[in-house]
Amino acid sequence: MKSPASASWKAPLKFRMPTAENLIPIRLDIEVDGQRYKDAFTWNPYDPDSEVVMFAKRTVKDLKLAPGFLPQIVQSIQSQLATFRSYEGQDMYVGDKIIPIKLDLQVNHTVIRDQFLWDLNNFDSDPEEFARTLCKDLGIEDPEVGPAVAFAIREQLYEIAIQNVTSARENRISKKGRRAAEHFTPSKASGAALDLMKLFSFRSSVVRKRKEWDYYKPVLDLLSNEEVDALEAKEERSGR
Amino acid sequence: MAEKSPVKEAASSESIPISNSNQLKPSPQFPSKFSSQTAPNSEVPSTPTSRPPSADADVVYVPSYSRWFSWDKIDSCESRFLPEFFDGRSASKGPGLYIYYRNSIIKLFRVNPSRKITFTDVRKTLVGDVGSIRRVFDFLDHWGLINYSASSALSKPSKDTGSYIKSSDSPSVESPSSAAPTSKHSSNSRRICGACKSLCTIACFVCDKYDSTLCARCYVRGNFRVGLSNADFRRVEITDEAKADWSEKETLLLLEAIMHYGDDWKKVAQHVGGRTDKDCVAHFVKLPFGEEYLRHPLSNDDESGFETNKRMCLTPLADASNPIMAQAAFLSALAGVEIAEAAAQAAVSVLSQVDGITASRVGIGSLERNSKRESEISSNGDTNQNALERAAYADANSLLDKEELDIERAITGITEVQMKEIQDKFLRFEEMDLQTEKERQQLESMKNLLFIDQLNLSFRRNYT
Repeated sequence: MKSPASASWKAPLKFRMPTAENLIPIRLDIEVDGQRYKDAFTWNPYDPDSEVVMFAKRTVKDLKLAPGFLPQIVQSIQSQLATFRSYEGQDMYVGDKIIPIKLDLQVNHTVIRDQFLWDLNNFDSDPEEFARTLCKDLGIEDPEVGPAVAFAIREQLYEIAIQNVTSARENRISKKGRRAAEHFTPSKASGAALDLMKLFSFRSSVVRKRKEWDYYKPVLDLLSNEEVDALEAKEERSGR
Repeated sequence: MAEKSPVKEAASSESIPISNSNQLKPSPQFPSKFSSQTAPNSEVPSTPTSRPPSADADVVYVPSYSRWFSWDKIDSCESRFLPEFFDGRSASKGPGLYIYYRNSIIKLFRVNPSRKITFTDVRKTLVGDVGSIRRVFDFLDHWGLINYSASSALSKPSKDTGSYIKSSDSPSVESPSSAAPTSKHSSNSRRICGACKSLCTIACFVCDKYDSTLCARCYVRGNFRVGLSNADFRRVEITDEAKADWSEKETLLLLEAIMHYGDDWKKVAQHVGGRTDKDCVAHFVKLPFGEEYLRHPLSNDDESGFETNKRMCLTPLADASNPIMAQAAFLSALAGVEIAEAAAQAAVSVLSQVDGITASRVGIGSLERNSKRESEISSNGDTNQNALERAAYADANSLLDKEELDIERAITGITEVQMKEIQDKFLRFEEMDLQTEKERQQLESMKNLLFIDQLNLSFRRNYT
C-alpha cells in the first residue's frame, strides 16, 4: 500500500525557537584597545532590559575588561535581541523536518565533532539537556564544553528558524498561494532536510546503514597545550 | 510561609561542623542528624558579627541564617525567591534544574573557598540561559552560601537587595551589613543579640573571647559559634546595668548597710536609698569580694566552677524539639542557678509529698479492709502493734498496687505492638495484591498490542 507522498502542511506558527524554552543564542566578538573579547551564551529574551546592562557590568568586572567594553557589549546584545524581536511577530512554516545538526567545536582543550538528527517540529526539545547528557556520557571533565554545545545547537536551530521565516515571507510575496506550501518541503533553503516519508517508508529500514555510522558518532579529542596554541595562532592569522 | 522559617531554625539549630576527614569536631551542642551525602565539607552555624577563628581549609563557614540549606532538598525560601523554577510554566525549567544550578555553583565555589567566585566563572560552566543562572547566583550570594568570608560579611549589600526583601525573613538578609554597626554597640548598655538581633532585656550572655553577645534564647538554643562552649559565656544582667551602674557612693552605703543589718535586705535597701532590696542583693552578690562579708565557705572558684557545671548540664535541657523543656531551660537560664535549683527542689519535694498522700490514701483504703479483717481475728490488740502493722500493710499494699499497674501497662504495650505488627502485615499484603493486579493488567495490554502488531504484519504481507 503506497502512502501518498505529500508533504503535510501545518498552519503557520508565530516565530519562536523550536525548543522548550524560548532562549536565543547571543554571540559577542568585540575588540577594544587591542583587547579582544569573544563570548557566546544563551539569553532569555523575556528578561527585562535592565538585565542586559547588569550582565554587561558584571562581565566587565569579572573578566577585568577595559571599561570601554561596557557600551559595546550592551549594544551588541541589544541589537541581537532586537533582531530576534523583529522576527518574532512573523509567521513561519514548519513541515515535517528532521535536520542534521553538526557540532565542530574546540573549547579549551576539548575538541568535539558530532552529527545527529534533530526534529524541528518538536517544540519540547531541550538543547541544554542534550548538552548536559552528552557531556556526562562522554565523560567530559571540562565544564565549559556543555554550554558551548548547547549554544552551537541553539545557533543552528535559530538560523534554520530564521530561514523558515524569510522563505515564508518570500513565498507570500511571490503570491504562490497554497501551492507554495506543497512545494515547500523540497524547496526549503536548507537542502539538507530529510524527508520523513522517504526515510521512514516501509521500503527502507529505520536502522542506519553501516557506512553512515562514522558520520553520526561523536568524536572527542583532547588536545595538548601546544596543539591549542597552534590552533589559536592559526585562527588569528586567518582572522586577520 | 514566614512561620515556617523560625521552626526550621529551631529544628536545625544543632548542626555540627563536619570536616573533610569526616570526623566530628568537639562541639558543645549535642549532634543532630545532619546528613551530607555528596559534599565532604558542611556548614557551621556562625553569627555574622564574629570572624572565623582560623582559616581551616576543610571547613566551610555559612551564616546562621542559611542553616536551612541541604544538598538534596529545596527550602521554602528558595521557592519564594526564585519562583521561575517552581511555577511549572515550562517543563524543562523545574526544581531539578534549579538543584543542578545551585549545587554546581556551590560545588564550584567550595573547590576553592578562599577565593571569591564570579558570576562569569559560573555561567561559563553551566548549561542554560544566563538570566536564570544569574538569579540563582545572586540568591546564593545574598544568603551567604557562596562567597561568604569574613571580609564579605561586613560589606554592604548591593542595590538588588531591595528586590529580594519581601517577607519577614528580610532582617536576616540584611544582617551582614548591620552586623558591623551592632558589634560596636555591644559596648554600650543597650545590648543587642548577635544572632537574632533582638534587644536583650532581662539577661544576656557575653562571650569575652570573641566579643559577641547573645540573648538568653539564643544562648539556650546553642546558637553560637563552634569554638565556644557554654562556659565561655558569662551572664550579664541587663536590668542592673541599664538602670545606671552603681556609683562608688552607693556601693559604700551598701557595704555599710550590710555590715549593720546583715541579712535584712529591706533595711539595707532603705539605707542605700534609691535601690530596691533585690537590686541590692544582686549587686552585692556580684561584688568581687562579697563572700568575705557573708563569711561563706564557698570561694569564687567553686561558685564559678559550679556555675559552669550547671551550664554544661544545661545543654541536655536545651533540646528545642521538646518545647516545654526548652522553656524550662530558658527560664532557668534567666532566673539564675540558685533560684532554679531551689525551685526544682521545692517542686520535687511537693511532688513526692503528693505521691505520699495518694499512696497513703490508697494505703488507708486497703488498710480499712485489713483492719476489718484484723478486728475479726483479734479484738484486743496492742494499739502500737496495730499501728505498726497498719503502716507496714499500707506500704506493702501500695507497693503491690504499683507493681500491678506496671505489669498491666507492660502487657497492654505488648499487645498494642503485636496488633500493630499484624496491621502492618495486612497493609503489606494488600499492597502486594494491588501490585500483582497491576502487573497482570499490564501484561494483558501488552498481549493485546502484540496481537494488533501481528494482525498488521499479516495484513501487509497479504497485500504485497
